[in-house]
Formats: sequence, structure tokens, C-alpha cells
Amino acid sequence: MSTAFILVFLTMLLPLLSYLGSLSRVPRLDNAISLSNVAIALFLYEFIPLSGTFYVDFTTWVFILMVTSIHLLSQVYSKSYFRKQEIWIGENLFNLLLALFTTSMLFSLEINNIGLMWVGIEATTISSALLLMTEKTETSAEATWRYIVIVSAGVTFAFFSIILIYYSTGTLELSSVLAMKVVPSLTLNVAVAIALIGFGTKVGVFPVHTWLPDAHSEAPSPISAMFSGVLLPTALYVLYRIYEIDPMRNLFVWAAVVSVIAASLFLGYQTRYKRMFAYSTMENMNLALIGLAIGGEYGLFGALLLLLSHSFGKAGAFYSSGSILRYTGAKKIGEIQGLWKSMPVTSSALLMSSFAVTGTPPFGTFFGEFLIFYSLFSIHYYAQLILLLFFVMAAFISVNYNVTRMVFHGEGEKKVEEDSVMSGLALLSSAIPLLIGVIYVVMSIVAL
Amino acid sequence: MSAFGEVLLLPLSSLILITAFYMQGQEFIRPMIRGQLVQSILLAAISLIMGFITGDYDFIILAVLIVVLRGFLITYFLERGIRKDQSHLHERQVSVAYLFIISLVFVLTAVLIVYSVVFSGIRTESITGNRGILVFPLALFFQGLFLIASRRTTYAQIMGYIEEENAIVLFAVFLLPIPLLIEASVFLDVLALVVISSVVVVEKFTHERVEELRG
Amino acid sequence: MVRIDYVTFTETLLQYFFVVGLSPLFAGIFHRAKSMVESRKGPSIFQPYYDLAKLFKKETLKPAGSGIIFIYAPYVGFGIYSLISLIIPVLIPVPIYFTASADFLGGAILFSLAAFVKVAAAMGSNSNFSALGVSRMLSFNFLSEGTLITVFFAVSLITGTNNPYTTNLFLASNPLQNISIVHIFSTLAFFMLFLYETGRIPLESAGLQELGMIDEAVNYEYSGKLLAINKWNSYIKQYLLGSVLLNVFLVPWGLNAGSPWFLLDVPMMFAKWLLLIGIVLIIETTLAKLRLFRVLDYLATAFTFSILFLIFTEVIA
Repeated sequence: MSTAFILVFLTMLLPLLSYLGSLSRVPRLDNAISLSNVAIALFLYEFIPLSGTFYVDFTTWVFILMVTSIHLLSQVYSKSYFRKQEIWIGENLFNLLLALFTTSMLFSLEINNIGLMWVGIEATTISSALLLMTEKTETSAEATWRYIVIVSAGVTFAFFSIILIYYSTGTLELSSVLAMKVVPSLTLNVAVAIALIGFGTKVGVFPVHTWLPDAHSEAPSPISAMFSGVLLPTALYVLYRIYEIDPMRNLFVWAAVVSVIAASLFLGYQTRYKRMFAYSTMENMNLALIGLAIGGEYGLFGALLLLLSHSFGKAGAFYSSGSILRYTGAKKIGEIQGLWKSMPVTSSALLMSSFAVTGTPPFGTFFGEFLIFYSLFSIHYYAQLILLLFFVMAAFISVNYNVTRMVFHGEGEKKVEEDSVMSGLALLSSAIPLLIGVIYVVMSIVAL
Repeated sequence: MSAFGEVLLLPLSSLILITAFYMQGQEFIRPMIRGQLVQSILLAAISLIMGFITGDYDFIILAVLIVVLRGFLITYFLERGIRKDQSHLHERQVSVAYLFIISLVFVLTAVLIVYSVVFSGIRTESITGNRGILVFPLALFFQGLFLIASRRTTYAQIMGYIEEENAIVLFAVFLLPIPLLIEASVFLDVLALVVISSVVVVEKFTHERVEELRG
Repeated sequence: MVRIDYVTFTETLLQYFFVVGLSPLFAGIFHRAKSMVESRKGPSIFQPYYDLAKLFKKETLKPAGSGIIFIYAPYVGFGIYSLISLIIPVLIPVPIYFTASADFLGGAILFSLAAFVKVAAAMGSNSNFSALGVSRMLSFNFLSEGTLITVFFAVSLITGTNNPYTTNLFLASNPLQNISIVHIFSTLAFFMLFLYETGRIPLESAGLQELGMIDEAVNYEYSGKLLAINKWNSYIKQYLLGSVLLNVFLVPWGLNAGSPWFLLDVPMMFAKWLLLIGIVLIIETTLAKLRLFRVLDYLATAFTFSILFLIFTEVIA
């Protein structure tokens, strides 16, 4: 057993250990363990690329980093979020499911077998379903059920694709399938197209995205952040790996462009802020899908940059939404006014994260989107590029108009006592995309 | 072998489809669960026959897994949610004629499209010696999808999901068996999902449009 | 100048008079057998003949405002059924005179035509009751007609021809084809259709109860001679459908052609019909009548099976 194997294995083990830590008397032991998991994930960079039982290259590493960090943030945040509210399934079960959820995501990212990747994705559905229902309202039960049924139906469909890949390559081991450089056949094309619909359900590809806004708007905020920030990217990663076997670039790019257009249109008439952020996630995922599908130096790197910045930015958006929901009790955009007076820290986090997720310079998402657009341009996909530019701009305006309205419009209520952990985490998460952007700019200048 | 296979496998596959339609038209919950049980056992029988035809032990282990996990555990978890005095539990206004005709149109269109576009690519013969038999798992899959879409009770939708999973297993059995480790993990996944769903069943029995979850 | 083949000529005459003359007898046997199962003495097996004779003697009343169609429809129907009885293998397994007039599909269309004429006549009687029966009949028939045509397609798929005689020969000489799934399911679908078309119990209980009546309501305004002909038409229709079921789907064996062996077909058909009557009896005495709107579900099931397996077989073959 090599060090690398043990490290990868540890990343999967530590979320479960942190659950055990939450059972112990030692204060904040679980958070410390999750933090060390982030450190291990960072340290893993020394060992990539890695292939064996696990398959980890640079792309995978970025995803692992995202999952461990957002898990840490959400774990800390949920402590404060649920302080004044009872969890229907009980705190212990909540922590256990959160740990299992994280482990199953890491498992699907790291395992070197497409069949087991599928199993991991299905396991994320199972472990996260009850997390959605922690508030146990009628609507949250309905949203949970839609999530279970739509996603598992879609992911089941994706299993056809696994069988067909096995049928045409004779193995399910990811590294050997990728090394094979198989000649695209009709069967493989079908397998990849089925994967687009099947795993696309979980990624949020139009028209199988319908569970996404419901689940995001009804889940408690730390869970919404996990969904948006890492669960969808995990599914996207699996989809990307299958895409790599037989790149059907035109199909994927067009599907993603249509999804971005749809998301942007839906964004236009949203009245609830959590739903609005859910559609923004759909837009970002599909932009990243375009980047991954085009690949190459710009496309792939742009997609990774976008995903990394987006996961923190969106986490910040949902964390600040959670605080707002906690203190105002309002779910609709129109019911909220003058946040900058009543909740200055949270509202600045909200504003920053909304800039981050819509790709405002100099946030990391902007450079990610820019690189993806550039890669589109470089392979002469002009029609797609023009459509995207238009609709991404429309989405930018919708989100930021609504958020600035919530923050600056009208006279706020009297100033409320903000929870320092919740607002602090929101601010931290929304600042990270900015940091990523700055680092990117500095490194580009240095490279020049 | 191909003649032998067809004589046994085609009627069994047809019976599986009939159970699917039975579940589609059934408004009472308990008989639906029983229909699912019968479907799983038919599936196990097909796997067993394939095991005898090919001499591959994986099929036989698969059959045992199906009977234990699909047949008994899932039925147990589903029936556990129904109290003794609720044996009449049913969904209102299930219009069989309407559902059958729509389902027929949906399933046939989907299968024919998939079949004509997709499976013209599978040139080599499948194990059964007749790749046309893949039509049955496909039809079962789309029927399961339609069951989910057309019915409003949680139970019916779980049943549709299990039907889809059965279709996948049937597809793998007919095309080529995937590694047993993965197959077993898939079964456990489905079982876990049914357990989770049985929690939701208690909370929400039927599903209607919700104003808050629109757009 | 066509030379008359006397064997074929005799076969034609025998088949025609057998169908037209003996079809009420099978209805009588059925009623008698059903009474016996229900521990009643029951009417004589010739009761349908007595009924017909009685009705022929009675006065025929014509509803006010009913048109010419009302009066001539029973005769037209009788003519259509006479033609059908000559073109499908209901007694003699080889083509006879008039057989060339239509194939299987043509037969199905003739059945539809007879039903249409009957409906048109019932509507012409200006009676609300008839209109009720017609609306019921038509709202069910859209599925039953579909099933009928699909079943005939299925048969022609197996044999590659639309000729009922070739089908009969093919099935009789290839026993394995009788257990192919398309054959099994089209038989099932046709049997369900037979129960519906002849008004058997899960669908319709013969009698004058308003709640469940379909066919009786269509006949409601008829009396006397016209009613007798209409009833006779129903007997012939029942015999024709039952014989197609027997000779093409259930038991295609045992029929002979050529002089004098074709005479053996008469007892053979009696034997087959006793089998069919037995099956129908079991169904009639064990099942409860469906509610009227459930008839649609029943027919939808038959239709679904027939079309599903028809198409699957086409794909698998």
C-alpha cells in the first residue's frame, strides 16, 4: 500500500471519523477532523496523477478539494443554523447522513471503476434525501420526494450507459477504458448520449433539471450549499469521465447551451431568492459542462476554475440566504428590503457571493467563464458563443438586480443581532472566489 | 440453444411485461406490491435459466440475490409501511383504459425510437442468440418511467422505480452480465433507497402540484 | 364458361346452411348448459328456434318517424353475415365459392359494416333508449375494432399472408407456431374480444336491465319479424366469431376437405364448439359482471396486449 492510496482512503474515511468526533465530548473535534481532511486533500496534490484502485488526476484533485472544503464549511455552519431549530431526524442522524453524503461523493470521485462511480452517485441520492427533509414541512417533503424520484429515475437510466460501455470495451476500470483510446462506435455514442440524459438529471441539464430548484429552495441552507457547490459538480465529474471515453462534443455543447438559455429564462421571473440561486447553479454547471466538453488547455482549466470559484461563491450565497431566512422568515424577494441596514455583514456577503456566482470581474468565476468563451471561440463555435454571451448577460442582470434590490431598496427593519459564525462563514465563502480570481491574475502576470 | 432460450425466455419476459401493466392498472397498493414481488421472482427465474444455458454461476448467484433483496426485503419494507387496518389503501381515480392507451403509445414510441436508432449498433448477437429480446427490458424501463409519471401516490412511484431497476437487471442479463460486485452494490443501493422512501411514504402519501414549487 | 366443381359446390352449400341454420342451436346449447351448471332445468336446446318462429308470426311495429333504414337494416345485416360465412373457414378448411371476395381484413371490415348498419338503424328509430345503447356501443367499439384488426394483423404476421385458409393450414401443420408469444397473446386478445362481442357475462348480461345493456338497447325498438332477423343475425355473428377463434386461434386441427370427408367437419365443429362453450361457461359462472365503465378498461387491456405483442414479435423475428 502506497502513501497515496492511504491518503485517498483517508479522505473518504475522515468525514465518517468527524461524525464519530461529533459524538465525543471533545468540543469542535469534528470540525478539526474535517479541517485536517482539507489539508490531506491539499497534500494529495503531491501524488497526482495516481491510478490503481483509485484514479486521481489534476481534475479529480480539484473536485476533491471542493468537496472537502465545502463539507467543512457546511458542517460548521449547520451547527449555528440548527441551534434554534429542531432537526426532525435528530442531530446525530443528521451528522451521520452528512458524513455519508460526503464520503459517497468522494467515493464517486476517486474510485477507478465506472460501475462503482454509478453506485457512488446513487449513494449520494440516498444519503442526501433525508437531509433535505430536516425542516419537515409539506413542501419540503414534496421536494424531497421529487428529488428522490426524478434523480434516481434518471441515474437508473444512466446505468444503461454503463452496461453499454462494458459491452463495447469489456472492462469498467476507468483508467484502462481511458487508456484504450477506443474507436467511437454507434454503441459507445449511444452510451455517452444516455449518460448525458441520465447523469445530466443530477447535473441539471435541461429538460431533466426539474428537481433542482425544488430541492435547493426547500433544503436547509447548509445542505443547499452542499448540493449546489459539490453534489452537482460530482455528478458532472462522472459525466465528464464518461464523455472522455467517446467525446461527442457537438451534442454536449448544444445540450449545455440550451440548458444555459433555459436557466437564464427561468431566472428572469423568479420570486424566491433560494430558487433563483438554484437556477444560477444550473447555469454555472452547464457553462462548466461546455468547458469540460471542449477540453484542451483553456476549456478544461476554465471549467475547473469556474467550478472551484462557483462552489465557494454559491456556498456563500446559500449561507447568507440562510441567515436572511432565519432572521426575516421571508422566502420571497419582494418581501425583503433594506438589508444593508438591518444585517450589514450578511448583506455584504450576499452581494459579494451574487457577484461571484454571476461571473463579475475580478472573481474567479469571471476568468473561468472567460476561458470557456475563449475556448468556444478558438474552435469556431460562433453561434453557441453568441447565444451564451447574450443569455449569460441576461442571467447576470436578473440575479444582481434582485440581490441589489433586496440589499439597497427601501428602508430596512431595525438592526438585528447577526450570528457571527453564520455571517462570518458567508463572508468567508464569498471572499474565496475573489481570492482565486486575484491569484489567477497574479499568476498570469508572473507567467508573462 | 437459441430455440430453447426463446421457448422459455420469451414467455417469461412477456409475463414480466404483463406484471408491469398489472401494476400500472392496479389502484390498490397491496396488490401492487405483490405484483412487484411476482415481477422480481420472474426476473430471478430468467436469470436462473440463463445460468443453466450458459453454465455461468454468476447468473445463479444473481438469481438468489434478486429473490432475497428484491423479492423479500423490498416487499417487507414496503408492506411495513401499511398498517393492518389499511389493506384497502388505494389511489383514487385510476383510469385503466386511459392509462393503458397512453402508456402503450409512450412505450412503443420510445422503444421503437431507441430500437431503430440505438440497437442497430449492437451488431453481434447477445447471449440469448437473439438481440431482439432486448426489446423487453427497454419496454419495461419505459413502462416504469410512465408509472412514475402517471401515478400520484408515493407507493406507485417507488414501484415504478423498482420496475426501472428490474429493467436494468434484465437488460444486463440479456446483453452480458456485469461484474457481480457491481450488481450487488446496485441491489444494495436500491434497497437503501426503498428504505429511505418508506420514510417519505409516511410523511406524504400522494403528490399534487404545489404552488410554492413552480417555475 | 366456368365448369362447376360439384364437390366445392356441395361444400359451399353445406357451409352456408350449416352456419345460417345451426347457429341458433349453439346458442341454445349454451343456455341449456348454463342452466344445468346453475342447477336449473333450463329451456330446451331448440328454444332459440321457438323464439324465432314465434317472433316471425308476430306483428311488426314501426316507431313513428323511423326511416327506411330502420326497416331494411336487419335484411342488409343478414346479407352481410351471409357473405362473411362464405369467406372465412368456419366449417370447410379449403376455399369454397365466394371465398375470393375478401381476405381476413375484408372480413373484419364486413363485421364493422354490419355493426355500422345496425347503429344507423337504431339511430333512425328516434328512440332515446336506442340512442343510449348506441352511444355505449360506439364508445366501446373504438377499442374492440382496433383489437380485431390488430389480431388479424398478428395472424398475418405469423403466416405471411392475409388469407384465413392459408393461416389455418399453416397453424395446423406447424404445431410449434401455436405457442409463439404473438399467437398466444393474439388468441387471448381475440378471446376477450369474443366475450365482448357476444355479450358474455363480465361485460354484459343478456336481459332487459337498463343498467348494463348494450346490445339489447340497440335492438330495443324492433319487434316481430325484424326483431327475429336481428336476433338471428346475432346468432350468426356469434357462431362466426367463435368459429374463427376455434379454427384459427385455439384448435386449428381436425378439419377435412374433399368428398366425402368434408361431412366429418360437421361433428368436428360440434365438438370444438362444445369445448368453447365449456370455457365460456366457466368464465360466465365464476366472474362477476363488470361495472359499465369498466368495460372500457377490459377492452383497453385486450387492445394493449394485442398491439404490444404484435409489435414485439415483429421486432424479435
